[in-house]
Amino acid sequence: MAASEHIVGRGIGNKLILFTVVLVAVIWMLPIAWTLLLSFKPNSELMISTASAFHPPYTLKNYADIFQTSGVFRWLWNSAVVSVGVTVGILVLSSLAGYGFARAEFKGRDIIFVLVLLGLAVPEQAVIIARHQMFSDLKMHNTYPAIILPGLSSAFGVFLMTQYFKAIPKDIDEAAMLDNASRFKIFWKVLLPLTIPAQATLGIFSFLGAWNDYLWPLISATKPEMFTITVGMASTQTNFAQSEGLGFLMAQAIFAGLPVFVVYLFFQKYIVRAVAGAAIS
Amino acid sequence: MSSIELDSVSKRFGSVEVISELSLTVHSGEFVAFLGPSGCGKSTLLRMIAGLETVDGGEIRIGGERVDNLPPGARGVAMVFQHYALYPHMTVFDNLAFGLKNIGTPTEEIGRRIEEAARILEISHLLKRKPGQLSGGQRQRVAIGRALVKDPKAYLFDEPLSNLDAALRVRTRVELARLHQQTRATTIFVTHDQVEAMTLASRIVVMNARKVEQVGTPMEIYGRPATEFVARFVGSPAMNFLTINLKDRGGFASAVLGDGSVIETDVPINILPSGELRVGLRAEAIRVREDGAIPGKVEVVERLGDRTHAHIRLADGSTLVAEDKGISQVQPGDSVRLAVEGATAHLFDADGLAYHARQ
Amino acid sequence: MTDVTLSPGKAVAAVKRPTGASIGPRWSNALFVAPYLVFYVVLLVYPLFKGIWMSMLQSDMFDNTSKYAGMANYHRLFNDKIFIGTVWNTVWFVVMTVPVFVAIGLLLALALNSSDRTAAVLRAIFFGTSVLSVTIVTIIWKMMYMPGNGAIASIFKLLGLEPVAFVTSSSLALVAIAICTIWWIIGLPMMLFLAALQQIPGELYEAAALDNASRWRSFWSITLPSIRRTMLVVVIYEIVAQFQLFGQAQLLTQGGPNNASRPIVLFIYEQGFRSWNLGYAAAASEILFLIMAVAALAQFFVSRKRVEE
Repeated sequence: MAASEHIVGRGIGNKLILFTVVLVAVIWMLPIAWTLLLSFKPNSELMISTASAFHPPYTLKNYADIFQTSGVFRWLWNSAVVSVGVTVGILVLSSLAGYGFARAEFKGRDIIFVLVLLGLAVPEQAVIIARHQMFSDLKMHNTYPAIILPGLSSAFGVFLMTQYFKAIPKDIDEAAMLDNASRFKIFWKVLLPLTIPAQATLGIFSFLGAWNDYLWPLISATKPEMFTITVGMASTQTNFAQSEGLGFLMAQAIFAGLPVFVVYLFFQKYIVRAVAGAAIS
Repeated sequence: MSSIELDSVSKRFGSVEVISELSLTVHSGEFVAFLGPSGCGKSTLLRMIAGLETVDGGEIRIGGERVDNLPPGARGVAMVFQHYALYPHMTVFDNLAFGLKNIGTPTEEIGRRIEEAARILEISHLLKRKPGQLSGGQRQRVAIGRALVKDPKAYLFDEPLSNLDAALRVRTRVELARLHQQTRATTIFVTHDQVEAMTLASRIVVMNARKVEQVGTPMEIYGRPATEFVARFVGSPAMNFLTINLKDRGGFASAVLGDGSVIETDVPINILPSGELRVGLRAEAIRVREDGAIPGKVEVVERLGDRTHAHIRLADGSTLVAEDKGISQVQPGDSVRLAVEGATAHLFDADGLAYHARQ
Repeated sequence: MTDVTLSPGKAVAAVKRPTGASIGPRWSNALFVAPYLVFYVVLLVYPLFKGIWMSMLQSDMFDNTSKYAGMANYHRLFNDKIFIGTVWNTVWFVVMTVPVFVAIGLLLALALNSSDRTAAVLRAIFFGTSVLSVTIVTIIWKMMYMPGNGAIASIFKLLGLEPVAFVTSSSLALVAIAICTIWWIIGLPMMLFLAALQQIPGELYEAAALDNASRWRSFWSITLPSIRRTMLVVVIYEIVAQFQLFGQAQLLTQGGPNNASRPIVLFIYEQGFRSWNLGYAAAASEILFLIMAVAALAQFFVSRKRVEE
């Protein structure tokens, strides 16, 4: 990977740099380590001083309490529904549109594509008030569709898939044309299977994006039973300073962070590739 | 097998006309090569026949049926692409079967045809693999197999050998020739390599700058090039061109070179136009010989084993390439004499049109 | 290739009418893009224009009607000290964070641009925090910043220093948000720079080493010029992203103390969904859009410039 790592005579410099970065990484992990440590402490002890975190007793009670009391499970479920909905929707719409923009000619296509690209420049904040109004008029707030649908209008996936379809050699389609395949068959049987890496990338990004989305679910879901985990975790920390359950709150944070962290660990390769791809294109 | 007829077809990309009013007939069972430099329009023409480019004017008929409005799949032709265009996610078997399935061929029939094609192309052991697991040569065979199983009205090859290494290219060339001798299938073969065109085709269509320069058998193209372009493009090393003055030699043209030496050609003088003329000589028509008439100085010697090419500067400063035997004694810097076989000389006018001896 | 006995085809083409695709424009091809376009028009284009229209309405809270008010909302905004304050807060936040993102992102990328395992683990650590949601990040940092009991306060006490009240100090609240933000998403610029570094051909460094160039010299004359475009992309991307600061401020400081850390989006949120001044909030969002559109336009021109090169 590195261009110059093997060049003779740079060993000592490299070691020094590595040592520094390891040190920074340790500092970087401190906040999470601290949170983790606190999550294992009885709330009563933390009330007196958080310094007690450095010595026993430790307990799993905070985690057990999550299963007993909080809405965390309901929120996790909501997040799962919303994230899967957004991901599937984006994959279907972007794949179809990406193929269309890259390969299936029709009058006015290129102008429409430019207009769609312009959509990338529109931030969520510029449309969020009108969107809220629209869903209010339809009395749809506090439903899954209301939380999911706005995410499907993002042009990012369309752009990504269009680029990916364009990169596939055109003679593959042409061979399929000569093989008497219909338009949809060329899309479905020949090209779509070749975009699986891009689907994976886009899927993971959409999933994480929807899971972590905060502003829109915060506005649209006002009933606690419709909160996503992200909004739910916000609602638990509003009266933080007076909180009597610091350890419990930390346990909730760790627990809520686990799903994305697992996704991250499993799909790190794709995530890294996606970011790298975005940089090069 | 079917004939392919092009009837004054035209093609425009935007405002640029890339093919204009081109007519050509490829007879049933014939092997025709479209030969020309890149950008000459030969691939576009092939793709128009396949249905991968629209036709802006004229008609294309395959087996007498007009096809230029039909989608590619309905034309009954098969194409072998330059980069093979195999479906990367399908096994070799599925690659071959895809086109047959799409037209509803019964499963047993598909199996039978693939088995047969695989045996002919010696790829039976590869049927379960995916293209990514094959070598370049194997992919090439699969690509040919995909055409073969369809039993098409005509085969279209788009520079199919250009991605193979030199040794494999020669071998595949021979195999293609053999395959055609056995199947007698109508074939159009696009290439920029004159050796491929010469060795494979029964007729060559030489194209340049979006128009046809000459249509003829390989030996016609080589022996009686219609234009300077054809003369330069076909044959290696390229034909020598020297500016001359004309002298009448009993009805035949004698070419007087810049240094005063004379080449006696068999070209009738009465067919020649007035104005500037050049003589065209292939290297094998110019021999290094002690009794030669034309003096020159050797600048570069290229030894090819079976023969030697000597790059020679004449007294008037013009240069040419002469041929000598394999174990040639010539060295750079030598003064040599050249003997020219005037009977194979061609004359070219200022517009690049060629004039040959009577046949 | 030996004997060829391919039996003459039993008129395969006649088995079924060919339904193959043809080249050239076809109206039916638009069906591929139509489903997305429905979402795009209904949930992006329409709300965009509706938002502009709403920004010109003044709503009456009592009978829930609204009337056209022209530029009145915008006039009010420019005279609203709190709104102007949020613009400055946001700009100040961008100015604080973007250079740090570029500098630390690049330094980490340079240090971790290696194929060994240690570098891979370190990259995973620095990028890993980016996948957390803003609400988890703020919980973690509240524990860091908590006065008296927080980790940072404890460290200060341990060192015998007077603890600094980050979140409750009007001069430091925004700094606290900036630190938390950098911790959260430093991974992205790092990854972008890593991708750019890996595009540089290794031969350049080898040639430079043979030319007696030091590591420092190689950095200045090979690395930096090669990643110029990525640098610009990172700068513009981060400007656009950090202008949208919301969650961290809303959850860490609630915009306080005394509006000192209130960003534009929090202002829009509170006006729109706490005070229900929809027209007023819409106008504020259009101003934010305008600021960000300028940055996005810059990004467009930068990326187009590369294509022309």
